[in-house]
Parts: sequence; C-alpha cells; structure tokens
Amino acid sequence: MHALIIDDSRAMRMILRRIVTDLGFSCSEAGNGEEALAQIAIGPRPDICLIDWNMPVMDGYTFVTRVRSEADLRDITLMMVTTESEHGQIVRALAAGAHEYVIKPFTPDAIVEKLTLLGLVRDGVPA
Amino acid sequence: MSLSPASFDYVAALVRRETAVIYDAGKEYLVEARLLPLAREAGEVDVDAYVLRIQRDLVEARKAIDALTINETSWFRDNAPYQVFTDVMLPALLEARGAARHLRIWSAACSSGQEAYSLAMLLHESLPSGWSAEILATDVSTTMLERVAAGRYGQVEMNRGMPATRLVRWFTRVGSNWEIAPELRAMVRTRHLNLAAPFPPLPTFDIVFLRNVLIYFEMDVKCDILRRTRDLVAPDGFLLLGSSETTLDMDVPWHREPIDRVQVLRPLTPAAALTGA
Amino acid sequence: MSLTYDEPQLADVLALAEEVWRSFVGDDEPLLPAEPDPGIVAYAATVTIAGAWNGAVTLEFGDGTAEAVSARMLGSGSMTEADVADAVGELVNMVGGNVKSLMPGPSALSLPVVSAGRVAHSNDTTEICRCDLRWAGLPMAVSVHAHRRQDGHQS
Repeated sequence: MHALIIDDSRAMRMILRRIVTDLGFSCSEAGNGEEALAQIAIGPRPDICLIDWNMPVMDGYTFVTRVRSEADLRDITLMMVTTESEHGQIVRALAAGAHEYVIKPFTPDAIVEKLTLLGLVRDGVPA
Repeated sequence: MSLSPASFDYVAALVRRETAVIYDAGKEYLVEARLLPLAREAGEVDVDAYVLRIQRDLVEARKAIDALTINETSWFRDNAPYQVFTDVMLPALLEARGAARHLRIWSAACSSGQEAYSLAMLLHESLPSGWSAEILATDVSTTMLERVAAGRYGQVEMNRGMPATRLVRWFTRVGSNWEIAPELRAMVRTRHLNLAAPFPPLPTFDIVFLRNVLIYFEMDVKCDILRRTRDLVAPDGFLLLGSSETTLDMDVPWHREPIDRVQVLRPLTPAAALTGA
Repeated sequence: MSLTYDEPQLADVLALAEEVWRSFVGDDEPLLPAEPDPGIVAYAATVTIAGAWNGAVTLEFGDGTAEAVSARMLGSGSMTEADVADAVGELVNMVGGNVKSLMPGPSALSLPVVSAGRVAHSNDTTEICRCDLRWAGLPMAVSVHAHRRQDGHQS
C-alpha cells in the first residue's frame, strides 16, 4: 500500500513518513496540494493521502475538493492531519469529501487507529 | 522534600511489574512530581509516606500506577468488542427485552469515560424509538468520575479511535476541549465503586464491560469479583473483559462464547455449573 | 486600556504546549514551570494569527534547548540549523494553531518564522501570556502577544 504525505513542514513529513513506513506502507511526499496532484497524475497511485490544511500554492481543503471531483480518483482515501480544529472546519472538510480527520498534535497511535478505522490497516499491518 | 531511594525503588519496581513502563535513575523528580498531588489528596504528609500507603492500599496503588503511566485511553478501544455490541448483543437484547424496552449497561472501571460514552453513541445510533438505555459508569477514583460527569476531553484524547463523523456529531468545542452532547451525558450516571469491596445495591444489568481492570488484582480477588458480578447480570446478559484477558483456568460462573474473535462471557447458571457445562 | 475577556489563559496555553510536547517530543521529560532564565535566547519560533483575533505565539529556546528538542522530535543525532528550524517551526505551528482555535474566529495562521535569536515585538503588540519552562533541565518559554490599538489609553 502507498501513502502520500502532503504538508509544507519538512519536520511533519518526516514524522508521518516514519509512522506509515513503520506500518509497512511505501511513501511519497509533496509540499502542497498542487505538487500532490502532479504526483498523483504521474503515479504511483496512493491508497491514502495524509493532508495538512494550511499550505502555500494550494491548501489541503482545495486539494480534497479537487480529488473528490475527479471520478477516477474516487478510490483514494483522504485524511486531514492539521491544526485546524474548530468544529466548523472539521465539518467543512468532511463535507468536501475528506474521509477522516486528525488534529495536531497527535500521537503515532492515533494515526494507526485512524488507519485501522479506515480499513487500511488491520492488526498493525496494511490490510 | 525529595523522594527517598527506597521509595523510588519500590515505585519503579511496581510500575515496571504492572505496566512495563520503566523509571530509571535520574527520573526521581518525575515520580515525585506525579505522586505529590495524589499524596496530598490522600492526606499523606509527603510522597514517602504515600509510597508506604500504596504498599498496603490497593486503591491508592492503582491511582499511583495510573498517574505514572500517562495512558490515553481510546474511544471504541480495540474496536471489535464494540462491533460485537452493535451486531450481536444489541439485536439479541432488542428481541428479548420487548416488554420493558429498556437496557442497563455497566461500565465497571470507567476511568475517564471513553468506554461509557462510546457505548452511549452506539446506543443513540442503534436503539429504536420507544426504547431507552442507561449506562452506569463506576470507578474507584473520584477524580475520574468527575471527569466522566464533565464529559470534556482534550484534543489529543479526541484523536484516539474516534471517527471524525462522530466527533462532529456528538461533541462541541469548549475552550481547548471537546464536550459531549447533553443527550449522551444524560444516558450516563456515575457512581463511586471499589470492585474489590462488597458491591452496593445495584440493578440487574444486560451488559457489563469489565475491561482492563482485573489485571490489578490478585487471582483470588479476580475470581471473587467475577463471581459477584455474575449475580448482577441477567441470565441472557453479556460480560466483556479486556482483549488480552481471559477466564481460562479460573473457577468462575461464566461460560466463554467467542463471537467474531471477541471473547464474550455468558452467565453460567448454577445448574449448568454443576454439570460442568 | 482594559484586557478583553477573550484572551488565551495561561493554563490553556500551558496545556496546549504540554500536549504538543508529549506527542512529538516524548512524555518521559515533561515541560516544567520554571523561573525566567537570564541567559540568551538562542532560537525563537513564531506564528502570527490574523482575522477575528490578531496576535502571535512564540517559542523561545535557551542555549542548547532547540537542538535537543529537535533531535528528540526528528529522532536523529546531528542537527543542522535547517533541521532545527524545521522542527521548532512545526512545534510553534501546532501550539499557535491550537491557540488560534481558542480565540474567536475566523482567523488565519501564518507560516512559522524561526530566528537564531529573540523576536523583537513592536509597539502595537503586548505580551498577554508567558510561561517560563524547563524541558530536560533546558530553558525555554512560550508567550502569546496580542495586537493593541494605539489609543492613548494604554495601561
């Protein structure tokens, strides 16, 4: 299984990379939504994207709306990982088509549990 | 006022034995910082006195262990038991309780309440109209019970096992915390209860969650708790322990019934117990 | 000039910083309240919040603190200045993002800015909240500044 990490913070990308690769995912990274769309277009197709909200060029919310509007990208699971934690923001993201939402700060366990909820991980390995 | 070496050694050994968390040399200040509030609450003059106390007081020992292992409990912990709750237990009880149309559930070591409120969410989502349910959440720690009654959780806690859709449906932001919806809070009653002591008068329960608490007790006390709990559960009711707990080799009036890889326990009636069923 | 009642409380800011630290820097060394450190600020990381509420959240690190925190966070031994900037920038992003969600919205969070030295705050901001701390015995501080109007009635 392949994960795409989309965050303008190199530190956060490193941390998330470690979590998903420890679980057995292969992993690529993008620094904003536009870079991420470009990567998806040329492949490998991610099974899941972990998406920060606040990024330059194209933010995470816009990325989500773009992906969800493309029929052939419908099978990609989208999980926000962001400091945006207002109730209304979470509702917006879910309404735009995000499948899950993790609020920063988070512990590695939290990511594993969310991936399990999504059916991408079972008993600690990619499903 | 600092911790004596003997106190530190005792605490480090206790925590390591019970939880595998290691406090090595240099961490004395951490043990002191984490035990001091408990020592004050327990009326002890300092942490050394409190460490003497926990050697003879299992209740305080448990509080000490909890304070020394920052353990964020999860919503829908281990997930499978909650799936069995929704897919198997509830339908069975909906069929069996058609007259009273009321369910009673006991969260018997409720800690900060994630278990009780997880069940409340599932009940709210699955109970047909005309049905009601109550959840009794008990714990030996009054601090924990206050947390359950407040129904307020921090962001890091809300990340643990909570589907985002349920987060936004059942919680609102209050400052830096998330607060449970009033209709769920109304379903949960809290009560102070020490499992190792005789139970106060309690109603008959349809489902008991007794998860991840028996590990703190000696075998004979474990068996005793399980026996006394059986008396509080309806003959067609259910008991759930923690995912790595078992009643294997225990002389207790419960029958193991695995459902979807979850160890569910059903009350053994006296007659069945005699025939060794 | 009076403080508005809608401002981050010290206890909230400390709780947020503790959560960020426990999650990303580990929970074996807590953030402990401390006396203000007289030494120099070696690194500062700041984010600004603009919109319904206007202010800034800043992390200040004494000598050696930022490198040690970053090494713990990124799980590696040798830290370049850029590594430190990445790590503490993300830490202030998280603390600041959570402070933002405490305040009336909507507001936007800036990208973090990390400096090798103190941040100099301008006349139109006031420090409304400060926690002097030690992490693993190393000095640091979290502070929140709010924008003030220049109306001649400042206290």
